[in-house]
Amino acid sequence: MRTGVGFGVLALLGSALSGATQPVAVRPAAAAATTAVSFAATGQSIQTRTLANGLQVIVWPDHNIPSVALFNWVHVGSRNEGTGTTGLAHFFEHMMFNGTTTHARGEFDRLIESNGGSNNAFTSQDVTVYQDWFPRSALELVLQLESDRLANLAFAPQVVEKEREVVYSERRLRVEDSNPSFLAEQVQATAFVAHPYRIPTIGWPSDIKAWTLADLQNFYHTWYAPNQCTLVLVGDVEPEQVFALVEKYYGPIPRGPATAAVRTVEPEQSGERRLVVERSGQNPLVQVAWHAISADDPRAPALNLLQTILTGGDAARLHRALVEERKLAVAVDSGWSEGFDPNIYSIYATLPEGGSSEAFEQALNAELAKLLASGVTAAELSRAKHQVAASFWRGVSTIDGKARLLGEYAVMHGDYRKLFTAPDAYERVTAADVLAVARDVFKPEHRTVGVLLPRAATATGGEH
Amino acid sequence: MLAATILAGGVGGSGGAGTAVPAHATVTPAAPAANHVNVKVPANERITLPNGLRLILVPRHDIPLVAFNLLLRGGALLDPPGHDGTAALAADLLTHGAGSRDAFAFADAVEGAGGNLDAAARAEFIQVQGQFLAHDSRLMLELLADAVLRPRFDADEFDKLRERRIEEIKAARDSQPQALLGNYGRALLFAGHPYADAVSGSEASLARLTRADVTRFYAAQSGADRAILVVAGDFDPAQVRRDVGALFGAWPRASTPLAPLPAPARVHGRRLLLVDSPGSAQTYIWMANVGVSRHYDLRPALAVANLALGGSFGSLLNRELRQKAGLTYDASSRFTRGLVAGEFAISTFTQTDKSAQALQLALTTLAGFKHDGLDAAAIDSARNYLLGQYPLAFETPFDWAVALGDLDFYDLPESYIGQFGSALVATDAASIRQVIDGAFPSPDDLDIVLIGDAAKIRASLEKFGPITTMPLSAPEFVPH
Repeated sequence: MRTGVGFGVLALLGSALSGATQPVAVRPAAAAATTAVSFAATGQSIQTRTLANGLQVIVWPDHNIPSVALFNWVHVGSRNEGTGTTGLAHFFEHMMFNGTTTHARGEFDRLIESNGGSNNAFTSQDVTVYQDWFPRSALELVLQLESDRLANLAFAPQVVEKEREVVYSERRLRVEDSNPSFLAEQVQATAFVAHPYRIPTIGWPSDIKAWTLADLQNFYHTWYAPNQCTLVLVGDVEPEQVFALVEKYYGPIPRGPATAAVRTVEPEQSGERRLVVERSGQNPLVQVAWHAISADDPRAPALNLLQTILTGGDAARLHRALVEERKLAVAVDSGWSEGFDPNIYSIYATLPEGGSSEAFEQALNAELAKLLASGVTAAELSRAKHQVAASFWRGVSTIDGKARLLGEYAVMHGDYRKLFTAPDAYERVTAADVLAVARDVFKPEHRTVGVLLPRAATATGGEH
Repeated sequence: MLAATILAGGVGGSGGAGTAVPAHATVTPAAPAANHVNVKVPANERITLPNGLRLILVPRHDIPLVAFNLLLRGGALLDPPGHDGTAALAADLLTHGAGSRDAFAFADAVEGAGGNLDAAARAEFIQVQGQFLAHDSRLMLELLADAVLRPRFDADEFDKLRERRIEEIKAARDSQPQALLGNYGRALLFAGHPYADAVSGSEASLARLTRADVTRFYAAQSGADRAILVVAGDFDPAQVRRDVGALFGAWPRASTPLAPLPAPARVHGRRLLLVDSPGSAQTYIWMANVGVSRHYDLRPALAVANLALGGSFGSLLNRELRQKAGLTYDASSRFTRGLVAGEFAISTFTQTDKSAQALQLALTTLAGFKHDGLDAAAIDSARNYLLGQYPLAFETPFDWAVALGDLDFYDLPESYIGQFGSALVATDAASIRQVIDGAFPSPDDLDIVLIGDAAKIRASLEKFGPITTMPLSAPEFVPH
């Protein structure tokens, strides 16, 4: 991310970058059919265009507040990187704010902010997303500035050096001073031996220090092109007005070169992998990861429901068994990175100080064995479907949430309209489907187990 | 859709940046029309029940969700001395077993409906918030009434939650030390005042708490006359009025009146608290003094001035520490404004060997801001930013449930939100100067907390003021 520092004491698990894709909030909708407003009908005012240069534009008018959310989804993430240039996609997320040949460094932020807008960006293993939130009066300015940095980025060497330090600071914050993130980075790198999902999105430290200007320029000219972008605008705008402005500002930008597909397929894992990390700290951590499926896999709704059943709330199965009843962990969570290619599904646990990772693993294995033998109950599945339905409605209650959902479906699932058929897909999932996907994913030979053992810090402080 | 024909070939990877795309003259957006600067506060109905409960209803039917926000005056301010975390544990337990449901049954009822319902203590109130699908509004209110009127405070749940909260603070020391800065800082800055209390408690104070402490606390501090309930979203107001009357009408008033909160005094001079985290890759820095309250009469000017100093990406602090110096990923400032003056704080972080340099640059930036003030362009920019961003905070029924609850709690008029835009437009340079002089501390009068590797940074910090050192692993937020 470009800005934003998590200060929540309770957000102990999950890593912003090494855990890969941003949390996907989309868990559409079983109960939608019973509500007064039809979910499928909410997107009827959406219009799309594709420019001659390949830029996809999606506009969802929403006049509730006089504001607009613009998300530019660039189809590049750390999975498109290679040895020696890890972290480049994320570094670009920073460089895109550092000046163009027509606007000096700092002008992008100065102009956006002084016209009432704010901005941010995030990078995942699959995509890089640029976000602006602004009053409708700034629409043309924002489109001008966004198109300018897509076409005319500057590469001043001294700016690159400064930003290298900023990114390193971000790495220290998110990874090196955070035990869960440090462990997650190691698990990711161990679970994958071939596919570039092994790369941490923020980059390995030596690469952050060593990128060259030529690396940056190559990356930019390859990936920052209109045919690699999906531009989503939601808010107080009219589609025709947006299309005309997008044509004016993006139309002249030439299509970029054809890009290399990620060819590498992760070979099937044929036995458990284990790793131990020793770090200063107080609480042991455990992360167990299994090779799972890709975002567009038809089993995805079932896997998302399974995730909700296992760790989605205080009534969820693993929370009840491992935190409340057995008290083997302080917190248990799980997550799945929905990517273009099959990524891992992880269960994360923070253990109490002095807690036994062996005891936790045994109990987790017993819970999973029970799941694989007996499946999930009708009550569990119903609860998960209701949770998914409500979180979907919460997702479309803001222009920001709409821009995120539209982009996710357009880019990660291939068509924004799938957002509006997703409720049916979730509604159709049966307990048998959930059991089947659990059996597909939770195979011991596809598992990587990471344990973080805390070392007591040697205090040097005394009172003065 | 247009046909996707190829207009031009790819751009070569040769050295130069940029393509042959013509530059447009930068667009200057028109200033927003006067009627567009203000956020419209939605129609709402306010009722006070015979037992003193204040009910605010904000119906809106575009999305089939209903949200609520309940504030119970008191909060962590009322934690008995040495028992930080009492209100936090009490609040936690409200949703871990209530009425006829044990903890699992309660969670199952909430999650089974796809709802959420969370309780937490803040400094000045206990807050219970949630959101449900519209057709579950009756269930939502029943669960809320159980939580606040009939919490079970089961012994087993108490033991588990207390232990878990202790472990979570330990885990934050391993993974999010910056999240703990405010706990150390407020303990120092507000020593002797209730704001010094760590809302979550510390490992040591939580370990001292008994179930009886928490039960007694809630029995004494809960009462309908201390509560504000806002319901917003897709519901039938007549039905919700009836439901609230039936479900909350028997809630007794609190047994005692709330004592007034004294105003904290500003600190003079500088003190440093160095929290030692051996091996830490960077140093987390927080510096503060007492600021202003929620009733500060120059709030629009305050918002402009703080935005310019440290409230956005393009603010002075971030420009100096991040963009120009490359010392950090983030530098910011904020006011916490409560019933009385909370803190004004600057926070940032940097790599260990740059700690003194970053601290110095933050102090220099604050000094420059105090001395030079803001020029007309900076004022305009900050004002426009605030005008443009303000509506985004009032988008959903849940946002309004929170906002109207806050207004009622702090006894502020609707114009606090509804006329904020016009007030920003009317803010002049003189009032901003007045705010910079009056509300922002001098860089010479600050309590400064640093979490970092003391052995490596202590010597470089001595020039900033007297240093007290304590280990990050200590189970509390104040030195012995």
